[in-house]
Amino acid sequence: MRKKFGFNIWRYPSRWIFFRFDDRLLLISIGALVGSCSGLAAMALNRGLIGMFEFLHHYRQFWWAFVIPGIGAALSSLFLEKIIKEGAGHGVPEVVYSVSRYGGLMRMRSSFSRLISSCLTIGSGGSAGPEAPVVMSGAAIGSNIAQFFSLNDRQRVALVGCGAAGALSAIFNAPITGLVFAIEVIIGEWSALNIVPIAVASVFGAQVSRLLAGNQIAFTHLQFHVRPIDTLACLGLAVFTAAVSILLTRTLRVSGGMSHQIKIPVWLRAMTGGCIVGVIGFFLPDVLGEGYHSVQLMVEGAFSKGLMIVSLLVFAKIVATSFTLGWGGSGGIFAPCLVIGSFTGLMYHRFIEVVLPGVSWVNEGGFALLGMAGLISGILQAPLTGIFLIIEITGGYEVILPLILVSAISTTLCHAFEPASFYFKDLVEKGHYLRPRTDEKVLADLSVGELVEKDCMIVSKDMKLGDFVKIMQKSHRNFFPVEDEHSGEFLGLIHLDDVREYIFDPLLYETVFLEQIMNPDIETVDLDDDLAEVLDRMDANHLFSMPVIANKRFVGMISKATLLDKYRSELIVQTDH
Amino acid sequence: MTTRLLHIFRNTPVGREVLLQSTYFCKTINADPVIYIPEFIKFLMYFENDVVQIDLDISYLRAPETARAHAAEIVSSFELPEPDFITPIHFTASTLPDIPTNFDFMCCPRTVSDLSVKIGLGYIGPRVRRIIQSAKFPVLIVNAVYKPWNSISVLFGGSANAITALRLGIRLSRLSGLPLDVFTQLGKHSKEHYQEIIRKEKLEADMEQYVRSWTVFDKGYLMDNLYDVPHDSLVVLGAYGHGAIKELIFGSTMEKVQSVLLNNLLIVGPKYQSPM
Repeated sequence: MRKKFGFNIWRYPSRWIFFRFDDRLLLISIGALVGSCSGLAAMALNRGLIGMFEFLHHYRQFWWAFVIPGIGAALSSLFLEKIIKEGAGHGVPEVVYSVSRYGGLMRMRSSFSRLISSCLTIGSGGSAGPEAPVVMSGAAIGSNIAQFFSLNDRQRVALVGCGAAGALSAIFNAPITGLVFAIEVIIGEWSALNIVPIAVASVFGAQVSRLLAGNQIAFTHLQFHVRPIDTLACLGLAVFTAAVSILLTRTLRVSGGMSHQIKIPVWLRAMTGGCIVGVIGFFLPDVLGEGYHSVQLMVEGAFSKGLMIVSLLVFAKIVATSFTLGWGGSGGIFAPCLVIGSFTGLMYHRFIEVVLPGVSWVNEGGFALLGMAGLISGILQAPLTGIFLIIEITGGYEVILPLILVSAISTTLCHAFEPASFYFKDLVEKGHYLRPRTDEKVLADLSVGELVEKDCMIVSKDMKLGDFVKIMQKSHRNFFPVEDEHSGEFLGLIHLDDVREYIFDPLLYETVFLEQIMNPDIETVDLDDDLAEVLDRMDANHLFSMPVIANKRFVGMISKATLLDKYRSELIVQTDH
Repeated sequence: MTTRLLHIFRNTPVGREVLLQSTYFCKTINADPVIYIPEFIKFLMYFENDVVQIDLDISYLRAPETARAHAAEIVSSFELPEPDFITPIHFTASTLPDIPTNFDFMCCPRTVSDLSVKIGLGYIGPRVRRIIQSAKFPVLIVNAVYKPWNSISVLFGGSANAITALRLGIRLSRLSGLPLDVFTQLGKHSKEHYQEIIRKEKLEADMEQYVRSWTVFDKGYLMDNLYDVPHDSLVVLGAYGHGAIKELIFGSTMEKVQSVLLNNLLIVGPKYQSPM
């Protein structure tokens, strides 16, 4: 018989002599590959969006142009539902779900599906961003490369982070943001094992972007001379951005809920949402698409519209984003957050100029930057991502002090009103937001089947007490499951305490049957039950062990003692690096 | 530990036949059927190193109001306890449930050519292959018409997966009390080579006890010799035992066998480990 891995050794790089020396080398090498591939995917979407904008630009002047975002959203929805057959979603929650529940396993189709669908949605004018789709695409690339090389769960999760980092790094040309986002939002664990390969992937992603699109920063900016009075004013801006973040989060959720109550085909729903966005965009074109052109004008201080119009744009962009994403369009909320944030910053600047006309404030572009950081930090509840993103996409550190303040306060205020970020609200509610080294994660990684103790002696309901006493003498357990002899059905449990009063009276040995003394009202566990739930039930009922039942048959016992043993082993595995 | 078989139920006449086969298998080896009645057109199965999306035929969603009763009725007709029905707990997306994979067996309908896709599990061909490659359980691929089997046949070619298949065949024979036949097509090795493998794997005693006959074909092609496999036997065989490149060039034995043999097949993939 030939060796199992003889012909396939190239698919098991962890067995190569070079990588046996230190498996971090393996992750760094494959991380570089993942980062490059993710960077290419991000650039493909970027080029696709540019192409779509240029192609559709000539048609936007016509009165019927409002249907263009609708058609784009409908095509995007049809593509996802009928061709790719992938359940829709924002992208990032799906990535975190796979990291939390399944060690980063993702489908191959996810590596390209969102690129195409979001290109259709955003390119046609839908109010969404390409960042979440490229993050999902990059993460899926990382996951599939890890699957191809048969890497383990921890390595696979690290490569999912590499993919996300490489993609974000490429789309913004912002390697530190890619690294911070992947760790802070996707993986949730700051450890050297993750940071090093993700940093490398981020570098490779950014390098691919620079090779193909040049070393450009997204938004050029003026020099901002921030004084203490500006920093003080930022406290108010943080409150403003937090309020707008909460409003955006809730509007997105309400809009999504409303759309699901309308019983029409998914593509028609997406088209309706897209057309509504088209109508809004007909009157306020700044809300369409990514909106980066408006952001650029605001950062440069060249956005000429007044306070009322800017305020209106804040709300219009929120509504447009909700109708795009909540009604079935494909895309992310990064770009809308940047646009809404810069509108909010500008609105706040114009507001304080009216209220305090005698004060000389920093240029309005500075407030636009701070507004972006506040929105990103508030929506994602990831302050570091917000801070580094703004620094990298504007290429300046002048606003770093107020930037940190706004991000920190906005995150804190949002957390107070919305304990889970927009991305993770559903995951938290369903118990799927499992961060490494937490109690929930350890329990989720164990299953009832792994903990079943099978050394119980099963007895029949027709057994006499005398026969049972003989069995008791051989057993070292306190529990005895009772089964129906013919059907094998589990009927109840006998605990030693239940028979103590009978076993010392030999007169009862031939007259008492187990059916008479067993306890039929027993809390049972199913093989597919979640361990966290099982543990809660044990605590609530003051139990130390419970019988596990499948198809009405006794499988074994599950006990807190075994659970603790396995829990500890799993915790050691999760923290051993 | 109870043995569990996962069955994806379709509430149609074809689905009835497939569940009859599954239930017969369970009855014969004393396993419990666990039934999933799909509520969505697709679902996911997360394995150790792969995630497989099953896109179902629309007929799987037919007549949901009677599906559960029909499935329970079929299972109870074999005097088995009422089956467990899976209700998905986890969802990757709102319309994309995750189905557990911690089973001992899974039943899939058979697909042989494009025309039979309509009675398959969606476009099952590549999906079944992915499941076989990734699952820790063997996959029972059944015919479209219920036919009880009265013996077990193992196709033993000497690979790692074939040894696992042989172990599984012995286990099934022990559980069911049905006779076990082993078939080997000689290639570049003699019969002694295969006997040596069995000796090294310490299967001699089990072979002695459970195997009714060991037929060794020293002439002709395996596809022609398969005529000798009893028509009413469950055929157990290993899949993907020769590596991706070799199978890409020479073709998969499993594919060849399933294209000529209409018996129910129990396919053992590379990730399966016999509990014996």
